[in-house]
Amino acid sequence: MKLNKFLAYLIPATVFTLGMASCSDFIDIDPENQQDVEAVDYTKTAQMYEPVVGAYSSVRANAAHWANSLLLFSRDGDMWSGRTDDQGAAAEFGRFYNYNNGFWALNNVWVTFYTIVRNCNATLEALDNYKAHIAAGDNQNAANYSQYCGEARTIRAWAYYQLVNNFGPVVILENNNQTDFTRTKVEGVLNYILSECETAMAEMEGTSKCRPNQMPHKGAVTYYTAAMVAAQTALIQQNWAKAEQYSDAIINSKLFSLYPDFYNLFKIPGKLCDESLFEIQVTDFGNPSGDYVGVDQWFNFAGCSMKNDASGKTFGGWGFMKYEDSFVEWAKNRGETVRFETSFIIPGVPTASGDVCTAAANAGNNYNGKGYLPYDQMTAGTTSWGRNNNVRVLRYAEVLLINAEAKVRNGKSGDAPFKEVRTRAKMAPITGVTVDQILDERRMELCSEWCARYIDLVRTGKAASVLGAKGWTAEKTYWPLPSTQIENIPDLQKDPK
Amino acid sequence: MEKRFLTFLLAGALATVGMQARTVKGTVVDKVNQPVIGASVHVNGTNIGTMTDVDGNFTISNVPDNAVLTLSYVGMVSKTVKAADGQMKIEMADDVQNLEEVVVIGYGAAKAKDLTAPIEVVKGEKLIATPSSSPMTALQGKVAGVNIVNSGTPGDGPTVTIRGLGSFGNTTPLYVVDGMFYDNINFLNNADIQDLTIMKDASAAAIYGVRAANGVVIITTKKGAKNQDAKVSYNGYVGFQKATNVLKMCNSHEYATMLTEADASAYNYMFENSIKNWGGDMGKLTFGADTDWYKELLRNAMITNHSLSVTGGTQKAAYAVGMSYLAQDGVMDVENYYRRLNFRASLDFDATSWLKLGFNGVFSNGDQRLPNNAAWQQAFNAPSIYPVYDNTRDSKVYTGGYASPEQIGVTNNFYNPVATARYYDSKNNTYQVLSNFYAQFQILPDRLNLRTSYAYDYANTKGTSFTPTYCVGAVNQHNDQTSLTKSESTYNKWVWDNVLTYTQAFGQHHINAMAGISMRNERYAYLSATAKNVPEGKDAYKYLSLGSKDGVTVTDDGSRYRGLSYFARLGYNYADRYMLTATFRADGSSKYNEKWGYFPSIGAAWVLSNEEFMADQNAFDYLKLRASWGKLGNDKIAASAGFASTTANRGVFGSNVLDGYTYESNFSWLGWEVVNETNVGLNFATLRNRLTGDIDWYYRKTENAVISPTIPMQNTTIAGNYAVILNTGVDLSLNWADKIGKDFSYNVGFNVGYLHNEVKSLKDGLNIIKGGKTVQKVGEKMNSYYGYKVVGIYQTDAECAADPVAVANKLVPGDFKYEDVNGDGVIDGADKQCLGSYVPDVTYGFNLGFQWKGLDFNISCYGQAGGELWNRKRALRYAASNYNFDQAQYENRWHGAGTSNTDPSAAALFKSWNVSDSNNASYFVESSDYFRIQNITLGYSFRNIKIGNYTLPGIRLSATADRPFTTFKAHSFTPELADAEGWDTQTYPLTATYTFGVQIDF
Repeated sequence: MKLNKFLAYLIPATVFTLGMASCSDFIDIDPENQQDVEAVDYTKTAQMYEPVVGAYSSVRANAAHWANSLLLFSRDGDMWSGRTDDQGAAAEFGRFYNYNNGFWALNNVWVTFYTIVRNCNATLEALDNYKAHIAAGDNQNAANYSQYCGEARTIRAWAYYQLVNNFGPVVILENNNQTDFTRTKVEGVLNYILSECETAMAEMEGTSKCRPNQMPHKGAVTYYTAAMVAAQTALIQQNWAKAEQYSDAIINSKLFSLYPDFYNLFKIPGKLCDESLFEIQVTDFGNPSGDYVGVDQWFNFAGCSMKNDASGKTFGGWGFMKYEDSFVEWAKNRGETVRFETSFIIPGVPTASGDVCTAAANAGNNYNGKGYLPYDQMTAGTTSWGRNNNVRVLRYAEVLLINAEAKVRNGKSGDAPFKEVRTRAKMAPITGVTVDQILDERRMELCSEWCARYIDLVRTGKAASVLGAKGWTAEKTYWPLPSTQIENIPDLQKDPK
Repeated sequence: MEKRFLTFLLAGALATVGMQARTVKGTVVDKVNQPVIGASVHVNGTNIGTMTDVDGNFTISNVPDNAVLTLSYVGMVSKTVKAADGQMKIEMADDVQNLEEVVVIGYGAAKAKDLTAPIEVVKGEKLIATPSSSPMTALQGKVAGVNIVNSGTPGDGPTVTIRGLGSFGNTTPLYVVDGMFYDNINFLNNADIQDLTIMKDASAAAIYGVRAANGVVIITTKKGAKNQDAKVSYNGYVGFQKATNVLKMCNSHEYATMLTEADASAYNYMFENSIKNWGGDMGKLTFGADTDWYKELLRNAMITNHSLSVTGGTQKAAYAVGMSYLAQDGVMDVENYYRRLNFRASLDFDATSWLKLGFNGVFSNGDQRLPNNAAWQQAFNAPSIYPVYDNTRDSKVYTGGYASPEQIGVTNNFYNPVATARYYDSKNNTYQVLSNFYAQFQILPDRLNLRTSYAYDYANTKGTSFTPTYCVGAVNQHNDQTSLTKSESTYNKWVWDNVLTYTQAFGQHHINAMAGISMRNERYAYLSATAKNVPEGKDAYKYLSLGSKDGVTVTDDGSRYRGLSYFARLGYNYADRYMLTATFRADGSSKYNEKWGYFPSIGAAWVLSNEEFMADQNAFDYLKLRASWGKLGNDKIAASAGFASTTANRGVFGSNVLDGYTYESNFSWLGWEVVNETNVGLNFATLRNRLTGDIDWYYRKTENAVISPTIPMQNTTIAGNYAVILNTGVDLSLNWADKIGKDFSYNVGFNVGYLHNEVKSLKDGLNIIKGGKTVQKVGEKMNSYYGYKVVGIYQTDAECAADPVAVANKLVPGDFKYEDVNGDGVIDGADKQCLGSYVPDVTYGFNLGFQWKGLDFNISCYGQAGGELWNRKRALRYAASNYNFDQAQYENRWHGAGTSNTDPSAAALFKSWNVSDSNNASYFVESSDYFRIQNITLGYSFRNIKIGNYTLPGIRLSATADRPFTTFKAHSFTPELADAEGWDTQTYPLTATYTFGVQIDF
């Protein structure tokens, strides 16, 4: 009895003491399945390329979002979004210049390109952190640093090029801590892009006067990629001297040449060929499913129902992006053959690879052949349209056409560079080529590629006459700011500086 | 203290010595002289006691002289009488206000009359009447302020919110089952539950601190009672479920009419293909194929539940043992079901005069085979012009014999829904053990005790999901490669509570104090692997190792979370007139940088009816005024939010794939969400205790609510403690109970909850934050739909020509006319507005019951008003115009001036102006109001049936119609949606359940 009573006090006392004694250490534990977020070790300069890889990855994940081509590629009157039943607002945008600032894809364009800008800013920041740890006399790393900065800067300039051509005045984000989101006028943005390209060229001068496919990181941006973006920008600024200068620099390097087979230029054989100045690279690792470092639905959304005659296999996509009948007609009347066959997929007409589009043969079903990958080039077993293909961004043919135009504008002959492009397309050469002929050539050669045609129409003042009947007016040159952005960022409503 | 203890010991010894044995007999009756069966009779100051038998009689021997008996019975006011010689007759009164009821209040219990907070108790027997797999389902409409949204998928539990939505994250209340914390109680059987206590306001819930922001539900599983013979009872029902309110879709002719009206010839190829394959007449637009997809997908499904329980107790121990089995099939016409086998046991034992020990455990084994809910959406979209099966197709290629939408020339977005449902094989097996061991030390008898309890929970869910190969169509809906995913998630949780309780009375002053420590540890582990090309045909083949080895992908994840809490409560009662309760909890959590949170609460009550100045009035039999305030925390926000700074990614460079990263220098530091709530309430009884009621007003504000605005010019969001949310409202419940004559008693109850939910502020300078489906806008309800408001339909060409908006957008009669909010003559993003939210303003319940001799009848109803849903089924037309239509869209369509000012023309439904997912026309927002007859139960009880020498105490037979009738306006199967933001998409249809039940007491 006595022992029991003793226990009656002892046990509770022990229990309670134990409970109290459980000090705060009990709750000091690390979270599971998460590596500590430590600062990146900037002393390891061997890893200096990793943030640059991040910038390329950002272009792949953001620029190559399917809804970007839905709007970007469909505003030139030659190509439209392809469907009215789905994403009908895109058809209103591109066919009738009836802009809706609430359309999600509009916001998507803005956000994805600014994500690239922000990621490049972070890349440049990270590179500066590495630079602090590069030993004096370590010339290799110093050269790498300079080259890598040039790559990130060129990518960023290209993103601004897309933004300014579509939204007009946009915000220049010098760094990611910037809190002033006032926009800059179009001219200011173009000047900024040009100077950025020039800076990048200076940074890459000693390291990458070569083709992207000659780079140690194969396909990386080079000195000449920066030169091309600079030339494109100069063209818009009507700075014909610089346009000629930069395009000359590329041509005179004698490194680049047109890929002879136009049809395959856009397919697997043409990946990173000598014509390529910039491509968004993907890989499916040779597997039909599973790991894919890729561009999601970029190709698939513009695919149509196809049947491979030899195997009977069918494949297809979402059926967006079609050429207007008027453009197809125009191309036919020009006598286009090579570029006709490559650019257009017409229902019922077999492609050179023996695939037939099985979509209804009614009018307006002219699908985009430049995004098409034939069945015999698809990774065995895959059913996804274009999955293992790279997205072509900048190519030498455009450099030749810029050069031709700049020369003509400067009172010289543009025949030589012009002829190269015509010859590959099996079109008869033209002597004494005019600006209008060059613009027509650009229209055909560069159709469906990064709204080149729309930029041409705007910069040459032809937009009103060509697109006016469809509802285009000077006020509609640029898209409105997305309503989501206006709500999120009050600075955007200020007058551009 | 020691002296006091010795005194007690001596007194006890003397009492034992001086005990004079005698026998006391008596009968216990209620106020209409009916015997009270099973009442507990206890001799004060001893361990002696018994229960009344079926005639209300009791006999206790060895009763000391001058003994005082305490009689108690659930639902009656406890009574204390002096033991007398001869046959005593004791009348007990009904406890209409449940004042004597002991209510679990978290780490302790209190009598209902001492409460200062709105706490509602639902008894286990009220849950049994509802045939449901989760006990919370049965609570719908029973408690004001508690909103329950059911899910139709067998084995899935309902979504429960208490007093509105107070967080942009998790809004699930905390469930405390025998001391263990849970996010849901779907593993429990309705019959396992003794009672369920809902702590609605902050002052009651604050004792659970950081887990309590969404309210707390405390569940006590069944326990035995001392001094009671073994009571064996069986309770079971069997019945069937039937889908109700099945949505009518367009038939083939109506569908073709819509398409033809929209575009005279564009879709002819579909009709021609259908007629070519399955017959019909192109001229009359009639079709041989006319499939009612919902009819093909639905069936009547069985449900049955059996539970057996044994309870009893001796003088020193009480026990309860039970088992139950639930089997429920789903109404989708493929194999989908839920089976659950539960065992439970509880034992409470007085080891010595100073030590009580106990154990209870629930063992649950659930088996869920899931339906493919994607089939419901597909059935909405699939036109009727192709059949389910087509045996003319090549059976070597199309092995299932299904027809395909490809046969009418459509591929993307179109499916055979029956095949979708069939080619799906996903199962979950859950094993769960909840156990609780406790020891209670009486340090000072009836004054001070220490209870240490250890609760342990183990739950393991094994998931198997298999996709077979199939071929319904050549382009769409075919799978060439099998795929098997196996997953295993395991929870290991323990809670160790040490609670010291002290009670003391000094004259009119009653003090009840509690202090405690709680430690808890939660571990979660998840492992999942997927392999392709696993052989098909037998379940025995479903092993990852039989699949192609190079394709196996593995996910491994887990979490560990620890908590340490100190808490205390002080209760004070003066003369049953003034009550005060104060609690405090300090919560430590391993989740955040901010490790400790402090949560106080205070409540006061004043029983006016016990005041002398109220002695002469007859208006109120009981009147109590309450006021309380408390602070709660919510730590159910993602622990990792805002901590990531670098994102690994990859870049392709020729044939090399290089690792890289992008980083974001923005990150935020998250703290806990904090809820402050004030509650003022009133309890009353009037009209001779026949009418009782509770009214509560509350004002509940969540500060530091975590929300994730986007980083400027990016899609990336970054979470922060930015927002403030308000929930304020009134809960009212009224009950009338009376007896007419000796045999007839009846009760009528009504409860209503009104809620005002509002986003008070977001991040500085931000007025709106958009999410995926809904937006948060200052001054509006949470989770509002956001888009253009339809103010009418353009009726004539003249009307269109006169409207610049119509001209600019090339609108024609039949299109929507949107409200131009800023009046600038342009419809753009600035004209979007909030169009409603799924949060209802008002929820109400009503019930009526009566008993006449052996017959009992009960009907309960439930309804809600003031909420909206997003008819995503209709809105999804932006993905494919030639989806099917529901019949109302056909019947109500605009087809000429004056025919409709609310519904668009057929052609309009094909234009993105009307159906785009950017415009979000208010046409797709529909009222989620509904009214339902929740449950009708008719029962008859036979008592004391003599079978030979054995008297069977009782059999009750009952018939139940659960949710037999529901009415609502929305073009939907049910306004009860699984999606918390009210998107009506792949909703499992509502079912009515009809059961026949038997309850036998042996």
